[in-house]
Amino acid sequence: MGKKEKVNVRICVGTACFVQGGADLLLYQDFLDPVVLAGCDIQGISCIGGCKDDSMEVRPPYVEINGKVFGEMTQEKLCKALLEAVHA
Amino acid sequence: MNDVFIDVDFAQIYKHGQKIGGDVFLLSRQDASAQIVCTLSDGLGSGVKANVLASLTARMAHKLSFSPMDLTRSAKIIMNTLPVCKERKISYATFTIADLRRSNTDEVLVNLVEYDNPSALMFQGGTPVQWEREKIDLRRDGAFKQEVLGHSHLKLSVGSRLLIFSDGVTQAGMGKSLPLGWRLEGVRSFAQQVIERDPDISSHDLAREVVSHAHRLDRLSAKDDITCMVVYVRKPRRTLVVTGPPFKQEQDPLLVEKIQRFEGKRIVSGGTTAQIVSRIMNRQLKVDMSCWSPQVPPCSMMEGLDLVTEGMLTLSKVATALEQKKPAYTLPNDAVKKFIQVMQESDQVHFIVGTKINEAHQDPSIPVEIGIRRTLIGRLQRALEDNYLKETSLEYM
Repeated sequence: MGKKEKVNVRICVGTACFVQGGADLLLYQDFLDPVVLAGCDIQGISCIGGCKDDSMEVRPPYVEINGKVFGEMTQEKLCKALLEAVHA
Repeated sequence: MNDVFIDVDFAQIYKHGQKIGGDVFLLSRQDASAQIVCTLSDGLGSGVKANVLASLTARMAHKLSFSPMDLTRSAKIIMNTLPVCKERKISYATFTIADLRRSNTDEVLVNLVEYDNPSALMFQGGTPVQWEREKIDLRRDGAFKQEVLGHSHLKLSVGSRLLIFSDGVTQAGMGKSLPLGWRLEGVRSFAQQVIERDPDISSHDLAREVVSHAHRLDRLSAKDDITCMVVYVRKPRRTLVVTGPPFKQEQDPLLVEKIQRFEGKRIVSGGTTAQIVSRIMNRQLKVDMSCWSPQVPPCSMMEGLDLVTEGMLTLSKVATALEQKKPAYTLPNDAVKKFIQVMQESDQVHFIVGTKINEAHQDPSIPVEIGIRRTLIGRLQRALEDNYLKETSLEYM
């Protein structure tokens, strides 16, 4: 079996995201399943830019998973989204 | 801003068993005349009596030095005011006054008056410099011996140091490890070694080294108060703090050019600003996920910058910590701690404040109060100037 590509995860650590729940997402090492954690490459990003984009329908905090931006992220939503992405 | 910075600090260890020192060090700055006066006075004996005498002397010397009066004349007034000990027929206190003024060139003019303290030492880089003192004789009633005031005019250029210490330093180890004490020669060669080992050593560290070595010679039970004061003339350590994108986007490259041209440490505070810098300098920005706390977002790393942090939250926490004079080691390991450490290590801080409004911060649903950038920088400047005696300057873009 070939080595599977890791899921690219970028958590926004900009001011707007951080104060609206982004800080909780940075505890990902505590709440993510180790199997999911091993399948993801998680990094911070200084600003995804969603907060300044009027066309954005969802609100901060934003997380980018494999290039796609998700908003209003919570710990539960992140667990679910990453579980799906890892097993996809 | 000045191109010369005068770093003055002192270190002291009290005589073994004493809770108060008989050596008194005073330092003050006067911005108007660009003058710094430092005084070291050693009172006869030790403990409270010595402290009262030394404080009296040092305070007088200090006040008189800021007056337009000639320093020799003020020294004479002090000596005539000082009581003479009835039994020993010697003065109750000795003193050294150093009056430092910045000249128009890159030199600092020192007016040095010494009375009965060990001679001051001067170093140009790591080389000791000897100079002739003008001797002023003074005869006083009831005094046992002829009193001599040493007066000298010195010029300290960048890289020079002046060491002034009490007799607790030169007499350290007397009768214990060294029969005649450490003596002036010993102190000179020790200081020379320390400077050669670490040519940029700060006044604080050098004074501490001298004092702790004297304490060791006394087998960690000081026979007298040990005090050492160091004046170090050096190039200022500068830090640039950039926060916020410029008002007009066309100015972005100019901002980056300013950052690149700056000599000293560089801090970029603000996610968007950091991204602009990263894009124009074509360098990767990496968030350091190991360094954050629940109140402060993580800092980032970028080649060519010493620190990259988030903007408003970090700056407001930094301002609060500086206003409350919180020591850096009491803070959690986050961007605020790193920011404060850089601030404390610099002498001059230049702020470049971008005036572009961040639309994301106008959102009323943000749960934390996010201040106005300009007010925040004002708070930072005041705290740095008032609490830490740093020089600051500000520029809007």
